[in-house]
Amino acid sequence: MDTVDASAHYSQSIDEKPSLLVLILDTNPYAWSTLSATLPLDRALASILIFLNAHMAFSHANRVAVIASHTKSARFLYPTTTTTAAAGGSGGEDPFRDANKYRQFRIIEDQVQASFAELMRQTTTEELVDSKETMMAGALGLALGYINRLVRVDDGGIGGGIGGGGGEVISMNARILVVSVSGDLAEQYVPVMNSIFAAQRKKIPIDICKVAGETVFLQQASDTTRGIYMQLEHPESLLQYLMMSFIPDTATRRHLVPPTQINVDFRAACFCHKNVVDIGFVCSICLSIFCTPPEGAICTTCNTKLDISALGNFGGSPAVVSTKKKRTKKLKQSKATSFSNEASATSTPGTPAS
Amino acid sequence: MADSDEDYIATDDEEIGAHNVGKGGRHRGAGGAAAAAGRSGARSKNGNKSGGGAQKRERWEDIKRSWDNVVEGEDGSLSSTVAGLLEAGKRKRLLKDTTPLQRGIIRHLILILDLSSAMMEKDFRPTRYLVSLRYACDFVREYFEQNPISQLGVLGMRDGLAVRVSDLSGNPVDHIEAIGKLRLDEGKGAPSLQNALEMSRAALFHAPSHGTREVVIVFGALLSSDPGDIHQTINHLVEDKIRVSVVGLSAQVAVCRELCKRTNAGDESVYGVALDDKHFRELLLDTTVPPVTRSAKMSASSLLMMGFPSRMVEKTASLCACHSALTKGGYLCSRCSTKVCALPMECPACGLTLILSTHLARSYHHLFPLKNWVEVPWKAASKSTHCYACQIPFPHPPTKPEELSAPAKTATGTSVSSRYACTICHNHFCIDCDVFCHETLYNCPACQSSVPKGKVSNGAGGRGDPMEVD
Repeated sequence: MDTVDASAHYSQSIDEKPSLLVLILDTNPYAWSTLSATLPLDRALASILIFLNAHMAFSHANRVAVIASHTKSARFLYPTTTTTAAAGGSGGEDPFRDANKYRQFRIIEDQVQASFAELMRQTTTEELVDSKETMMAGALGLALGYINRLVRVDDGGIGGGIGGGGGEVISMNARILVVSVSGDLAEQYVPVMNSIFAAQRKKIPIDICKVAGETVFLQQASDTTRGIYMQLEHPESLLQYLMMSFIPDTATRRHLVPPTQINVDFRAACFCHKNVVDIGFVCSICLSIFCTPPEGAICTTCNTKLDISALGNFGGSPAVVSTKKKRTKKLKQSKATSFSNEASATSTPGTPAS
Repeated sequence: MADSDEDYIATDDEEIGAHNVGKGGRHRGAGGAAAAAGRSGARSKNGNKSGGGAQKRERWEDIKRSWDNVVEGEDGSLSSTVAGLLEAGKRKRLLKDTTPLQRGIIRHLILILDLSSAMMEKDFRPTRYLVSLRYACDFVREYFEQNPISQLGVLGMRDGLAVRVSDLSGNPVDHIEAIGKLRLDEGKGAPSLQNALEMSRAALFHAPSHGTREVVIVFGALLSSDPGDIHQTINHLVEDKIRVSVVGLSAQVAVCRELCKRTNAGDESVYGVALDDKHFRELLLDTTVPPVTRSAKMSASSLLMMGFPSRMVEKTASLCACHSALTKGGYLCSRCSTKVCALPMECPACGLTLILSTHLARSYHHLFPLKNWVEVPWKAASKSTHCYACQIPFPHPPTKPEELSAPAKTATGTSVSSRYACTICHNHFCIDCDVFCHETLYNCPACQSSVPKGKVSNGAGGRGDPMEVD
């Protein structure tokens, strides 16, 4: 009886911190228009709002932020700096008096919808010409900056520096969820990578909900930060995916088997043509990746003259061994006849001698 | 910061001074290979402070009271002053040179740990020995975090011998395990700098010319028991282009100082003596930042062929080429499809360097640092009400015109309007985001979330220009 230790029951419930969810919504109109048959943007937004409400419903202290990663800009949809104007203008009646809805839900819904409408109103058609990218690096930067303020209890400037502060106190579990629809981020390789490493250092998982398109870097992001990666097979049931896979916070995930991708593409993009390569040439000074040795062996990034002798003749045409000069042949001709019998007898063991 | 230490040295000085009255001057105890010049030379930059002699007022004569800095605010509370002091501290840490310098990114480093009897001192708790082992593990982790494609080896100095702790390799786990095994042991005998340096010279002999060769020594003793002439060893190190940096634990040692000076082209800032536990960690982890390339001769630049394999998972286990172990999944060499289980590694079959692109990307921020942000005067402050990144509200501009025209930078170095502006996109940030962006993120979120003008890809402007050689 004495061996029963009851303290084990209590020790598990210590780690109950509120969680912060930062949702980055890729709002590239091109990508969404290709999806309009299965999942129009307004339905996606509705699903996302339900998901956010579900997250808020877990705890009073839970927090949420929404960031739009648009074609030419990244901005906060919630919380916005022009809070009162956006929230008050949408409903007509005072939103806080509505008895049928949890106030927090109402505020989030109104603000997200209002600022989203504002974002779309500001997007002009000429802006959209040849802009198929999305400002994912900026959106990740904003998300990390926001998380950094909310999560960190100020430790009096002791931490920081190299090593990222050993004794930092974390008051919230934060995570980032990216709802991504567009592909290729090759233009933003370095900043996206920097954001990923910052998230890794701060132990913030980046979850990727990939509705359409394919991005190598976002795969790497979720793999490096131990987040969830999901490529949706049926985009129309976005809400189902969100509710089933992305709702558990970092503390809960330890008890679950979260879906992750198995094969991660770790190929890099070359700096010269933005090609994704699996064998590349790397400048030893600035670590730029090239798909072929640069012209004149001068690195295009740091202008250093590079020594390419170590590469050998990679990629060159195969050399032809030149025939020996006739004069030497003549000299050896007399000897050659005497060797020829021996050679045929000894060189290929196992074959019958002729 | 280290007032108690200074006091201790002061009594030392007093004695020497008393003996030298006849000569009419008080000077430090003379050099010699193992003479302690005192802890005041913690960073040798500060070292010349102690050489002033009689004219200079001593430290204890200028009394600084920390409570003099704290003034009550208008509302009678201290919170605003304390917040200001905190902000000043953060800002001070932040401002550093952001010229993109050429750095040795591919490093080959030998960490030499002092395992002699001097390490059994208890001035660091619990002992110097255990503290140095703990920080050595931190060092290994941080080193591979900052320099993922570099190599590291660990040596120890004990009983007048150099002991090999772990071989030069790129896997942090091996080193941490090897260092962990030392924990059961304890410091013994005298250290020998010469033996350790010669052994690391041999270990670094094969390092390719495009990488750096470095030695970092944690040195607790005040002596070195050498079999031969250490100055000759130093000459050999200079010839082999090996740089040595030393972290001392007790006091400055003349031979270490010379060692650092000679092997670092006259730069003594790589020799530091730890004042306390925290300072020791700081000094040791400072060496994880890739070193600046001083002259074009220091490292040959070359183009390296590397493979970027993708990870795959198999249904059935198969043997990996590196350890001959059965594993389910791993990485396939992009040239010959040999399976290896961990990266970075050289393909055992075809010799291609296999790395993850994320390894390379980790080093980019050393090469393209984010520029320092500038203080914003009240006049320019009205354009923002909130921090761009974290949405924290800024204080409103004052109404009085004389306050409005105050200079942007306050006496403590902080911004008068609590705003800091990126020099490229001119957006405003708070101090916390300033610190976060410069120390963790290495991006400007605002530059990244608007369309770049002229395609500056990192907000650093480092692209296309030849990097400066210091």
